[in-house]
Amino acid sequence: MIRPRRNTAPSPALPDGRSEPVRLSVDPVLLGAVLALVSLGLVMVYSASAVTAAEKQGNGFYFLERQLVAAGVGLVVMAAAVRVGYRRLARLAYPMLLVSIVLLMLVLVPGVGTVVGGARRWLRLPGLSLQPAEIAKFTWVVYLAYSLAKKREKVATFSIGFLPHLLLAGLLVALCMAEPDFGSSVELLVLLFILLFAAGTRLSYLVGSVLLALPLAYGAIAHSPYRLARITAFLDPWAHRHDIGYQVAQSLISVGSGGLFGLGLGESRQKLFFLPEAHTDFIFSIIGEELGLLGAVATIVLYGIVVWRGTRAALRASETFGTYLGLGLTALLGSQAAVNMSVAMGMLPTKGLTLPFISYGGCSLVISMAAAGVLLSLSASSAPMRNPGASRVRQLREQVA
Amino acid sequence: MIPRRSTERGRPPAELTRWTRARVLVMGGLLMAALGATLARAVSLQVLQRARLTSMATDQTVREMEIPARRGDIYDRRGIPLAQSVEVDSLWLDPSMVGDLRRAARDLARTLHLDAAELEARLARGRRFAWVKRQVTPQEVTLAQRLEVPGLGVAKEPKRFYPQRELGAQVLGVVGTDGHGLEGLELAFEDELSGQSEKVEGTRDARGRNLLLQGAPEAVGRRGATVTLTLDRQVQYAAEKALDRAVDESKAIAGMLVVLDPRTGELLALAQTPRVNPNAPAPGIAAGALRDRPALDLFEPGSTYKAFVAAAALEERAVRPEDSLDCEGGSWEVGRHVIHDTHPHGMLNLARILAVSSNIGAAKLAQRLGREGMMRTARRFGFGERTGLALPGEGKGSIPYPKAEVTLATQAFGQGLSATAVQVAAGYGALANRGVLMRPYLVSRVTDPDGVVLLENQPTQVRQAVSERTARQVVQMLEGVVQKDGTAPRGALEAYRVAGKTGTSQKPDPVARGYSDKRIASFAGIVPADDPRLVIYVMIDEPKTDVYGGLVAAPAFKEVATAVLPYLGVPPSLSVLASAKKVPNPPPMQVKEEPAAAQPVTERLEQGSVSVPNVQGQVGRDAVARLLATSLEPRLRGSGRVMAQSPAPGAHVARGARVTLELGASP
Repeated sequence: MIRPRRNTAPSPALPDGRSEPVRLSVDPVLLGAVLALVSLGLVMVYSASAVTAAEKQGNGFYFLERQLVAAGVGLVVMAAAVRVGYRRLARLAYPMLLVSIVLLMLVLVPGVGTVVGGARRWLRLPGLSLQPAEIAKFTWVVYLAYSLAKKREKVATFSIGFLPHLLLAGLLVALCMAEPDFGSSVELLVLLFILLFAAGTRLSYLVGSVLLALPLAYGAIAHSPYRLARITAFLDPWAHRHDIGYQVAQSLISVGSGGLFGLGLGESRQKLFFLPEAHTDFIFSIIGEELGLLGAVATIVLYGIVVWRGTRAALRASETFGTYLGLGLTALLGSQAAVNMSVAMGMLPTKGLTLPFISYGGCSLVISMAAAGVLLSLSASSAPMRNPGASRVRQLREQVA
Repeated sequence: MIPRRSTERGRPPAELTRWTRARVLVMGGLLMAALGATLARAVSLQVLQRARLTSMATDQTVREMEIPARRGDIYDRRGIPLAQSVEVDSLWLDPSMVGDLRRAARDLARTLHLDAAELEARLARGRRFAWVKRQVTPQEVTLAQRLEVPGLGVAKEPKRFYPQRELGAQVLGVVGTDGHGLEGLELAFEDELSGQSEKVEGTRDARGRNLLLQGAPEAVGRRGATVTLTLDRQVQYAAEKALDRAVDESKAIAGMLVVLDPRTGELLALAQTPRVNPNAPAPGIAAGALRDRPALDLFEPGSTYKAFVAAAALEERAVRPEDSLDCEGGSWEVGRHVIHDTHPHGMLNLARILAVSSNIGAAKLAQRLGREGMMRTARRFGFGERTGLALPGEGKGSIPYPKAEVTLATQAFGQGLSATAVQVAAGYGALANRGVLMRPYLVSRVTDPDGVVLLENQPTQVRQAVSERTARQVVQMLEGVVQKDGTAPRGALEAYRVAGKTGTSQKPDPVARGYSDKRIASFAGIVPADDPRLVIYVMIDEPKTDVYGGLVAAPAFKEVATAVLPYLGVPPSLSVLASAKKVPNPPPMQVKEEPAAAQPVTERLEQGSVSVPNVQGQVGRDAVARLLATSLEPRLRGSGRVMAQSPAPGAHVARGARVTLELGASP
């Protein structure tokens, strides 16, 4: 794998016919952390899903095989993002957002969107299945970064800098809630607020809108039995451990029984149908159980590295768009990781958010790796330049190739 | 307004205000803080709350599983297995994994010869588990798996196997599909045979399925106790064969045969007809066919009871051996009833009364004994009380107080009271054993797998029924029964002195509350009469061709005695051999049946070894009987007629030696 900045070996992740020394200037620490997370994810998806897969699909490798394909696609997308460079995204910001909105609408059409577990979240196409909400989160960040960078000082104004973004967010959230997908809705809003804050929106607007949104959020929770149940279960999982709190309680049992060093890879007992969604939303519980505190801390540290190097790349970006984009994507990855792990450990109510790079789910993995690719591109372009201008594109190509 | 081109990409980094940098850092820091919170929580859960959460995990995943012990075996007195446990496959299905249950049920039913509708209903009831068919053959497993029904599983289940097939089936009883004894000894010794099930810690999944992560525990040590019987496989075989023949030839509905060692009370055979194959699947066995009738069923013993009356009368000095009683010419009024004899007799002494089985003579003995005397008679020989056999539901018998004059008379010839075949045999055992009644028993030893003896039955004296002198006198008198002028000349043996008593009783009619014209023909025999080693009691239920015990039951006695006495190494009675010419010849039919029976007996007496008879060309079953009669232990290979035997015919071998017979289809 690509580690040092002056690695002379061609990367297997970025295959290439030429054997001449190639200079890579993408952030090796960030790349290493991302690849480590993806690898951990593949191992853990197999470990957590093998029993279920063997029983339901008759093939223990069923989920691993699909995740491997997604990881392959993710690597290509990541490499492509580095090669193309983040700047191209600026031009794509509006079209991508439009496509996302169309997809979010499409998924709501009965017969087009596939219902899984009571929620219409998937677009099943031959050969691949898309989760429009996952795509929307990515394009939302790109759009916000572009829009906020463009508006510059006017960001501080209510009518130009705040309201349009809030209204657009309202549309996306409404579409997500229709699925319903509460987790993605919250995530979209979290991203909005992070970027608005970074761009310098008045704090009073942010605080005020949060206060205004509280009754709405309360309504959304109180009028949905399953959301209410999740909150109740979150508040006291042990009192409801045989019904609504079952998943949280089982997750806590998983993590806790791992202890310092874990039960050993593959030794999880909770994945024997005790813990539902062990290979998707609750994969962190299995990490905690099998690899113990050691594995949990390692995972958290890897996300910490992603956040650290992502923020660093954002700060070093050569323009505001890059800064906002870097921060937004870092937040996309970091906040989802933090929320997912918090849910798994009973610190937040169940959301339905995946653990980036690790959870089973092709769409989520590819999008996460795409985001990582953009961050890497950002880090590469922020590296000290020697021959600026037109040669820059060529240099980038060499770095990637 | 700033030119559009420059707005698109914003300001260069130099223009990134300190405030923007700070805000980005704040956001990055917030994300790091969130991750830090998860880290702290992980420490809290995995270090501080670890013990509590681990025990919760253990509570739900670790289950103490009971692994049932392998059911103990049942052996005959010589250690030949009569009941063993083997592991067989059972097919089950997880119905939730089957898409089209109807089709799956139809396919499985066709392959496994089940009823499709019934199977479908059964599978539909099980949510995640349902038996498809239990205890199937390996071929059925292969065929079923070839259907590729999803969710079809194979489980190992213990199955009871009876290597001797029908032999002693009702004594042994059966085991249900769930592995618990349902009848006979399997039920009586259920606790001992099933043994201690082992507790194993295993991991369980959320669906309640057990997963043995540490592997299955050692099979050794998990075994039930071994039950050793007093039954002798060879004696039981001879008894069942003879009884089958007797029932068959007399066209009777049923029969029982008890072989008892009078010196110890050990039951060597408890045979009954019709027989059942306990290996057949349970539905194939008719209800009630598994009753161990010789121990359970009560019937009126008939004239075989006269011997006990005579013994008691002698013991209580109600009569002297040389006394003669008037048999009234075959017809005697008792109250409003008339008692008949089959043949008219005048004055008869006690021996003759027994030999010709005079009802009137017996009734007069009862009159002399008195009502209390008759009750004492029953008590002396153990009637009206359970013998204490291990078999569940053993019959007790009823001895009503003979209030009416006629009851006193009829009880003298064994009507108006009831007993089991084992009770009658035990009573004769007392006569044979110098007046000492031994408690009959069937189980000699129960041993757990560690060799600890859980139960051991020793010969037990119940009581001195009558004095030794009286017992000897009665046995001597009973020898007259098998003489030419007795009721059972067919019960006589060539080489042994026989004391016996016939019985021909009317069966009570449960509907008309009187007696029907149905009969029970029986014969109780003691051999050798001069030094009793065996009591053989034969009871034939509702014979059609002949109804008399001397004709129907005595030949079966003779057949068993002929086969078993040499096998047990009982020396022939010298007095019989010496006076062989005077002894009336048995009917020629029987001579034909056992042409060489006397021959090996004399040889063995001299040398303690036997000559191997020539059984070549004989049907396997006959060859086995022949070898058993010669005290040799047959080993069979194949089926059909004897093609070869080893050792060769005429060879002198030790008694009890094995003779291997190669069977094959006749050329």
